[in-house]
Amino acid sequence: MISHWSHENQRRAQQVLNRYPEKRSAAMPLLYIAAHEHGYVTDDAMREVAALTGLTAAQIQAVASFYTMYKRDPVGQYLVSVCTSISCYLRGADAVLAAIEDETGVLDGETTPDGLVSVEHVECSGACGGAPAVSVNWELVEGLEPDKARELITWLREAKPEVVLGDEMQMLFGGQESFDWGPKEIEGAIAPLPAFDPYGTAKADEQ
Amino acid sequence: MGRVGRPPVTDDRNTVTINLDGVDVEVEAGQPLIDAAQKAGTYIPRFCYHPRMNAAGLCRACLVEVEGPRGTALVPSCTLPVGEGMVVHTKSDTAKKAQEGVLEFLLINHPLDCPVCDKGGECPLQDQAFAYGPGESRFVEEKRHYEKPIEISDLILLDRERCILCARCTRFSDEISGDPLIEFKDRGNYVQVITFPDEPFASYFSGNTVQICPVGALTAKPYRFKARPWDIDGVESVSLVDAVHSRISIQTSHNEIIRIYGVDNDATNHGWLSDKDRFVHNHVQSGDRVTTPLIRENGELVAASWAEAITLVGERLASYDATAVGGLGGARSTNEDAYAFSKFMRTVVGTPHLDAQLADGLDPAFATSVVSRAAINDLESAKTILLWGPDLKEELPVLYLRVRRAATELGANLVIVHPRRTGLDDVAAEIIRYKPGTGPEVLRKLIAGESEFENARAILSEGPVVALVGRTGLTEDPDAAEAVAAFALELPDAKVLPLMRRGNVFGALDMGVAPSLLPGRVAIDDVDGRAALEAAWGPIPDEPGLNSTGILHGLAEGQLRALVLNGSDPVRDHPIPSVATAALENAEFVVAFEMFISDSSAHADVVFPVAGLGEVEGTATNLEGRIQKMNRIITPSGESRPVWSVMNDLALAMGSDLGLTSAEAVSVQIADVAPAYAGVTWDALSWGPGREGIVLPGPDGTQPIQYVPIDRGVPVIAGHRILHTARVLYDDGVMVRHSDGIAGLVQRGAAYLHPRDASMLAVVDGDEVVVQLDGAVQLPVVIDPDLTEGTIYVPFNLAATAGLGAVGTLRIDAVRGGDA
Amino acid sequence: MTSKILLARMEAHPADSNTLARYLDTGGYEALRTALKKMKPEDVAAEVKASNIRGRGGASFPTGVKWGFLPPDTRPRYLVINGDESEPGTFKDRMLLERDPHQLVEGIAISAYALDVQQAFVYIRGEYPKPARRLQRAINEAYEAGYLGADILGSGFDLDITIHLGGGAYICGEETALLSSLEGRRGEPRLKPPFPAIEGLYAKPTIVNNVETISNVPWIVANGGAKYAAIGPETSSGTRVMSLSGHLKKPGDYEVVAGLTWRDLIYDVGGGIRDDRELKAWVPGGASAPWFVPAEHLDTPVTIDDIAKQGSMIGSGAVIVMDDSTNVVGAAHRLVRFFSHESCGQCTPCREGTTWLERILDRILHGYGRPEDIGLLLDVSDNISPGLSWPPAMTTICPLGPSATAPVVSIMRYFRDEVEAMIPAPVGATEAPADGTRGEAAGD
Repeated sequence: MISHWSHENQRRAQQVLNRYPEKRSAAMPLLYIAAHEHGYVTDDAMREVAALTGLTAAQIQAVASFYTMYKRDPVGQYLVSVCTSISCYLRGADAVLAAIEDETGVLDGETTPDGLVSVEHVECSGACGGAPAVSVNWELVEGLEPDKARELITWLREAKPEVVLGDEMQMLFGGQESFDWGPKEIEGAIAPLPAFDPYGTAKADEQ
Repeated sequence: MGRVGRPPVTDDRNTVTINLDGVDVEVEAGQPLIDAAQKAGTYIPRFCYHPRMNAAGLCRACLVEVEGPRGTALVPSCTLPVGEGMVVHTKSDTAKKAQEGVLEFLLINHPLDCPVCDKGGECPLQDQAFAYGPGESRFVEEKRHYEKPIEISDLILLDRERCILCARCTRFSDEISGDPLIEFKDRGNYVQVITFPDEPFASYFSGNTVQICPVGALTAKPYRFKARPWDIDGVESVSLVDAVHSRISIQTSHNEIIRIYGVDNDATNHGWLSDKDRFVHNHVQSGDRVTTPLIRENGELVAASWAEAITLVGERLASYDATAVGGLGGARSTNEDAYAFSKFMRTVVGTPHLDAQLADGLDPAFATSVVSRAAINDLESAKTILLWGPDLKEELPVLYLRVRRAATELGANLVIVHPRRTGLDDVAAEIIRYKPGTGPEVLRKLIAGESEFENARAILSEGPVVALVGRTGLTEDPDAAEAVAAFALELPDAKVLPLMRRGNVFGALDMGVAPSLLPGRVAIDDVDGRAALEAAWGPIPDEPGLNSTGILHGLAEGQLRALVLNGSDPVRDHPIPSVATAALENAEFVVAFEMFISDSSAHADVVFPVAGLGEVEGTATNLEGRIQKMNRIITPSGESRPVWSVMNDLALAMGSDLGLTSAEAVSVQIADVAPAYAGVTWDALSWGPGREGIVLPGPDGTQPIQYVPIDRGVPVIAGHRILHTARVLYDDGVMVRHSDGIAGLVQRGAAYLHPRDASMLAVVDGDEVVVQLDGAVQLPVVIDPDLTEGTIYVPFNLAATAGLGAVGTLRIDAVRGGDA
Repeated sequence: MTSKILLARMEAHPADSNTLARYLDTGGYEALRTALKKMKPEDVAAEVKASNIRGRGGASFPTGVKWGFLPPDTRPRYLVINGDESEPGTFKDRMLLERDPHQLVEGIAISAYALDVQQAFVYIRGEYPKPARRLQRAINEAYEAGYLGADILGSGFDLDITIHLGGGAYICGEETALLSSLEGRRGEPRLKPPFPAIEGLYAKPTIVNNVETISNVPWIVANGGAKYAAIGPETSSGTRVMSLSGHLKKPGDYEVVAGLTWRDLIYDVGGGIRDDRELKAWVPGGASAPWFVPAEHLDTPVTIDDIAKQGSMIGSGAVIVMDDSTNVVGAAHRLVRFFSHESCGQCTPCREGTTWLERILDRILHGYGRPEDIGLLLDVSDNISPGLSWPPAMTTICPLGPSATAPVVSIMRYFRDEVEAMIPAPVGATEAPADGTRGEAAGD
């Protein structure tokens, strides 16, 4: 096992490996756990996942590099992903991206010098009824207009939330929703990774 | 990926009729349409398809129209097996537009590198773009750019701009060689083929990807920029790097070998080569080659004429009693050379002391004449494969590929018995790891299916069984391997293949370069066989001779006084290097037939320069007993000559006529006097099915020895710690040492210890230990949990491990602080 | 007009429709109980077949027929739920996962029983952590209550469900690419045959079904397949959730019965065009679908087969509406850019062709188009999808490449004048030739 990983992540890694009939299948979840452990998908992270799954590092690199959510360069504390696919494009997504670039001072694909915010455009986020849609650490804000997008960036800078909660952002900055969100969600993201408990990247907000 | 693949070779021939571009043709059933069409005379363009790999259907160049119940559809012909009544249009407007479209797509990002690209002139993209592509490209956007080329290993360079992403290299590495070190990266238009940082493409088979790359994306450093395909000449031959005898094409320009290519022999290598087969040829042009005869004067070897040297050797050899002369070697060259050596030593010198092996092989009769010998192609229909012998990936790499194929593609269950991990462990159904020397005990338990061997025994009871049997390492008794063969032959539908490693050792043994064998698989005590030989040769000694160990002891202690070295390096290759060294130092007269000054030939009184790869015509016999033709294409370097020719002249100088007037004349003699070789002619080996080799006995031949392996009750070697020493592919052997390009790949060497042995010695990774067996060597430690406790592994014959040997009392001590 | 199957619970109980308590309270897991106690697996499969339900993921393949392809004797079998929902315009599965996950869990359990599957996987796109959390909670609740795990409800039937997150790749919604991804490989589609039902996950027989499709199974078992088949037209039976987006007043997910017209859907259900603007065009079924225009399609019925006959597809049921403010070249470019970005890169026509199309459209968009680009766009498209017809022929391994040609063909078919207007006349020529050839320049 990867003895220098946190105890929790070692346990999660073992759990994940046990879930699949073949070890190789665990490569994708292990990459998320490794990304959390290392900060992002580093070469070491890929080597370790290779050792865990019995594959070569080249094979893990082949998998990690295929999927856009495995970041192989350092990511900011907050990954701001702006959807620019057709439905969001039709409702002004390009202006939202421009506003975020202006507010952060960095362009699409870059990270602010203080390491706080990374900005990227993404393809359809599945929130088309609430276009324009933006995710922060993969937690969704729907109906985010350019001026509200600027406020969102300011809020990230100043409040630096430990847990990124979709409901909180929606309430503060969001607009049109794809559908009734229903009950409040108290779990959110603690890293620029999908917040999913089996991968150790979700946390409930204590407040 | 489509699993059309290549069906196992069978003798059933089933045919179907398809309509190909309006004409009914009868084709072999079950094969991919692209192959059927090609055999019927219609070539369909292709890049990703390779007949020896599973079809991937990626490049889309092979699209043709096939009629079906729902209308006519474009189908990739590499993924579609032919069916009765299939109607195919390869040249319809739709098919041609699709093919043209694909070629245009492939060219839009492809750089205009042809003038500086190695592949130009033999490039499938060039050829097929010309034949099936549009005349011009309509692409006016910016092409993809990458840093080019980049080194992805010591041997291979990668140009990602040229790459057309056919995935041949990645699929070969994953599916065929089991070394997935080169893989796709990124997605869509940004897909590239690449290695992982700091993990180079260090596969023993990397050179195959250069050969099968349909563009100049992968190029080999040793060949890069050396020649243009239209300047190259080539002949077919076999690689004598090991006993598989992979079929090769020796390619030359201006009388120099510049490249070795793999040729598809269905019986052996399927077109693949190890990188040693492929890149070892540089030794032929090495500046270190001995190019003139050398005679020792005042302690130094100085150039001499052939006349001088032959006269001197003839006089000196004649001056000794016959039985005071010994001869070693024969595996490094052709059957004709070995025959000449055997005839010379037995009839001219009159000695029976001959051995082509250096105590590192198997009993000669067992190796050459075992009953129910397997052919490599028996792997194609095996249900179970027992591998109890060397690590094939290191010692017989192309055979490793064939076994790997059987285990992964053809559903064979592989049982491996070996002291440490092997290259095939990941595809084995069962792995038995044991301490060397305890083999007989393991065998007993396996036969009985006891406790942890129950599963393996159960697997082995399903036939057909192919048993690949040999010595797992040099400290193992060769009779232990024979006991395994005896057991294996009792399994259902079983055949056994004794594993020999050295180049043409089988051919040499077949020529009687062995203390107990006469040419053609005749035992020396076979009265009738010997009489038949003497009718052709004249009188020969009737007692068996000494083997290599006996010869070397004899020389060291003075019973033998002269030695003929036929391409042999006992100081480095014999398991008791101290005796080998003493033998060479003590011998009164040593004559070496060599290409280089080696640790052994450095002791010679006379060195004869001999011709090597590409310089000799002849035949060779592989570990299956398959004889193949070797062809020459370059003139021998300097004044070097083929061994058989020198032997003939030596004999004449000593008053005998061996009658070896040409290489072919030698082969005719062989067919005449060696029973197993009767009926084998160079013509038969050069044309028709004989090009893939003839398995001996030949068409008119017999195998007088019918060897049934028996368990001789080899004792278990007790001992707290046992040395396991075995060859690695790139060792410090004579040929590799002088081959630019692969000489640098030889590892430094280490002593591999089980964690408990390491802790008992209080050493960790990187600490130094002194290991002593025959001699003592100091090596860094590598901790290897894959060993059994008590097994120490040291690779054989590296510069740092030479002298250790394989016989003696093992001692291992940690080097502390200021210790030497 | 709309009967509710899938959305009933979340509309009636918005505050807790995702909880086990509410699920049980509204009849949840009764269908599972019935199936396990009173029906044989083949009976359950027969009901699904009788329902005529067609896959809701995009291919519209009859689910009962797909289930029937499993070879009888090979085990183990796998059931994989496709929650990769990445087709632009689609957000129905997200809602079903977030708001009524137990409906899916029960659907999986019943389907697994019918198919003799002991291990099911739910592949959820990586960008959907909240739906995945909601589903995982429901799965955890179901295990605790004995609806999952060993010996479910004392029936002797075992089932484990594992959620597998994707990594951001639309192509993993294609079933064979999904299986490759689930196996820990690149999400590259595989050649078919063999089909997943014969050789799927780990080369074992596998059924891949969409989230929405399986969410219908509890209702089908509770009410009978015939009842489901009776809803709506025979070949578009049941209800379906359509995601409406774009220039609408009321974008959102709506559960409808097939047969209504596009006018009904866009103006009644979707509330009409925002700011009361004019409808220009719409995408009927996700980004891969050729466009419809008011003049030809507004009063035609929304059914699987009617749309297919008209040269498009209902696909994932995602409708993207464009009003008269839309620059169609920009819209087409945005769509083609999506496909170029999502191409897996395996096969030549898609890897090279989709990006080539994107580059040409980009040039036209920025004023660097050439007259020959019109013909070139169509010919490059034809080399990806020969004949540019419907259903699309492919030179590719999977339909992603041909999907990229849909927006190109649509703008050429309906808005060619707008495309041509963006292309400057060549120097010296008086008008851009209509046949896509190079115009005569001064001095030629």
